[in-house]
Amino acid sequence: MTALLEVEEVVRTFGAVRAVDGASFAVEERSITGLIGPNGAGKSTLFATIAGSLKPDSGRIVFAGARIDRRPTYRVARAGVVRTYQAARVLTRMTVLDNLLLASTRHPGERLAGVVLRPRAARAHERRTLDRAREMLALVRLESHEHDYAGTLSGGQRKLLDLARVLMLEPSLVLLDEPIAGVSPALRVELLDHILAVRRDRSITFLIVEHDLDFVMQAADRVVVMNEGRVIAVGTPDEVRTNEQVVDAYLGTAH
Amino acid sequence: MSILASGSFWAFVGVVAGIYTILALGLQVQFGFAGLLNFGQVAFMAISAYTMAILVVKEGWSTWLAAPLAIVAAAVGGLFLGLSSLRLRADYFAIVTIAFSEIVRYVATNDTSLTGGTQGTIALGPIGTASEYNGQWSRFEGRVQHALGFSSSDATMLVIVWAVAVVLLALTWFALRTPWGRVLRAIRDDEDAAASLGKNTFAYKLQALALGAALAGVAGLFYAWEFSFFSPDDFQPLLTFFAWMILLLGGVGRVWAVPVGAGVFGFIFAGTRFLNFPPFSWFASDQRAYLRLIIVGLIILALVLVRPQGLLGNKREMVLE
Repeated sequence: MTALLEVEEVVRTFGAVRAVDGASFAVEERSITGLIGPNGAGKSTLFATIAGSLKPDSGRIVFAGARIDRRPTYRVARAGVVRTYQAARVLTRMTVLDNLLLASTRHPGERLAGVVLRPRAARAHERRTLDRAREMLALVRLESHEHDYAGTLSGGQRKLLDLARVLMLEPSLVLLDEPIAGVSPALRVELLDHILAVRRDRSITFLIVEHDLDFVMQAADRVVVMNEGRVIAVGTPDEVRTNEQVVDAYLGTAH
Repeated sequence: MSILASGSFWAFVGVVAGIYTILALGLQVQFGFAGLLNFGQVAFMAISAYTMAILVVKEGWSTWLAAPLAIVAAAVGGLFLGLSSLRLRADYFAIVTIAFSEIVRYVATNDTSLTGGTQGTIALGPIGTASEYNGQWSRFEGRVQHALGFSSSDATMLVIVWAVAVVLLALTWFALRTPWGRVLRAIRDDEDAAASLGKNTFAYKLQALALGAALAGVAGLFYAWEFSFFSPDDFQPLLTFFAWMILLLGGVGRVWAVPVGAGVFGFIFAGTRFLNFPPFSWFASDQRAYLRLIIVGLIILALVLVRPQGLLGNKREMVLE
């Protein structure tokens, strides 16, 4: 297996706080990699630097052979790395369908020049986008909410919408930020099924930050453990579970 | 009262409402769709009006060449403002826009050799001559009046301004229903989320700002032609806030709410002229001018309290989080 994403010695500070302090790890292609660690370990900061919304102070982030750590968020997203947020960032004052229709790359209709000069191409792309959006809605079972404002959805439904929107972009790497926090147990199972199905059918790689260890251990092939801004262990769920350092820092002796 | 209640008076009110419609439509694109707080909209009116007048009077250009270039100048002004300040957070950007509009007005006031200074456009040409920039426009208006068979030039201007306003409203309405408009709305809702979906939010905000500025430029041209003379004092920040009142009265995020807001605002603003009976007649006329503004403010405040989403706005969009 080859590494799709390589995080090399990334440092990100906020004033005197070294939130990420020389973290290094790799995410292999088509893997589901879990990123765990206690609160304040630097997971969210690292996530933001991978997604491009924060710039690292030093270190490199290489995706599919190219450095992405100096690119703005939208260019990281276009390269194929997209993230979800812990509190799903759906566009509340737009309909569920509009939320999904936004998740389309190289849409000629999204450029004024395209609207004016290539109206046919824009309409054709819009039709294809609409078909895909309906497909994704069916996948996450939100068809009946198509024309509702996304702001009327429940927290769990918003997570599903966010996931559907991200998958619609057909990214190579999806960063999921606590995908099951605040989600009902039944929905958790569904979400896990979706993720596994998507990995199988669309060969998408996942990097998941999650506090629910059962979920991580079930979903992930590999687990990266962070503490105090550094990576303290990498391995299969079983290896990590028995790693002494990990037990001390995160799992606790009772586990 | 009977003089003021004449048809030509209300035609004038209608013309001003049409000009305000175009000005506020620019704000609707910028704020209602892209979420940009622009409190300097009047600056783009000034840039366009002055560009047209200067090219016509000083350079001897045809009005029909000078007018489109003036609109382009307003859009370039928007690009300049955006490139220098759009990276600021929303509220800081808003402050810069006010400063920008005041800078434009102060330049117009003080660069006498370019703009005629405080004396206004009458002093654009050589000393001792009264300059006019609207000769070609007046002849065009005369021909339209003849073709329509109208007897008053006010009614003619009313038709021209509103014909242009309706075309611009329709174009804007169409543009905002395209996927391009959808991205703008996404940015208004949550810019970070739009960026993480691969949208170059800066470029979209810049486009919205420039297009809104171009619309203000069109309003500036009509303003210049309607009054056949203007000076820097015509471009006080108050004008921007009138446009904002129209936007809030009509409803944010609804293209066709703009003419409704402008109509209601124009009616209220003009209507307060008729307050020349007691107790209003107890005040001197210059005091009454200020009293009018206070009353306009109170009426609009009352309307907004009753319908916070505006006359045509969607209340649900205000409460969703």
